[in-house]
Amino acid sequence: MSAITKFEDLEIGDDLPGESPDVSMPRVTAFCHAAKHVFERFIDHEAAQREGFAAAIVPGIMSQGLLASMIHRWAPGCEILEIDTVFRGSLLVDSDITMTGAVTDTDDDALIAELDLAIVAEDGRTGVIGTARVQFEQ
Amino acid sequence: MDDDNTMPELAAVRDQWVGVEFDWTTFEMSAENMVAWAKACGETDPRFIDPSHHDFQAHPGFTTHCMSGRVFPKEFPQIGGGFGIDGGKRVEVHAPIRSGDTLTATTTIADIFEKTGRSGTMIFIVQRMEFRNEAKDLVSTVDWKMIKKAE
Repeated sequence: MSAITKFEDLEIGDDLPGESPDVSMPRVTAFCHAAKHVFERFIDHEAAQREGFAAAIVPGIMSQGLLASMIHRWAPGCEILEIDTVFRGSLLVDSDITMTGAVTDTDDDALIAELDLAIVAEDGRTGVIGTARVQFEQ
Repeated sequence: MDDDNTMPELAAVRDQWVGVEFDWTTFEMSAENMVAWAKACGETDPRFIDPSHHDFQAHPGFTTHCMSGRVFPKEFPQIGGGFGIDGGKRVEVHAPIRSGDTLTATTTIADIFEKTGRSGTMIFIVQRMEFRNEAKDLVSTVDWKMIKKAE
């Protein structure tokens, strides 16, 4: 489905366009500096392995931000009222991850859509699940 | 699934500590960090990456990086094993956060509960930070779910 510009174009069950966001080491390192979360497990593969991870991991709060950006691209001009993410497993830096979303409910009076969200790791594990409430323009 | 047979000890901890404020911290919101955060998250909407945009504001989850000075209140009891893992974050956006805002965050324990699943019984401690701007307007609420294994 292409970008949504009007609430009236929404239907429950609509899928957001899936995306494969950039979680390369330079991108994750840039995030960590912006977030002031410069920890080795996020920016150094070997250090992360010493902590028991397969490789450096994407910060959970970055994965939430990636999902928010996907929502903004799907519905330009919308406002995210709430986004709730559960970190179920590690997403590895320099891997291929996939984000998905779907409309699960709508409030036609308030012009609010509810979404289910997920990020799947390269090996098929679900790393993040979540929900969001999105306000469309009046 | 939710476990209705809550341990008495946990119920007592909940009764004593849920709702108790235990930390107050201020945070400066800079355009540079707001833009860097949004761009690193792959944002393309100019509201979040262009400081000259008339509606320039922080990305919805920007306050999730703001940590309170303490994880738990002083004298909060040790419940569950270890330090705990980050189970996730819920962000509620009440109003835009603007560049130059100084936000004051108040931290509380919002909830304490347990769930039992394949991994056994886990204890969830929800730390809530409420962020207000200089006008005292509530702009953001962040719930951090910390998960600990029941001992």
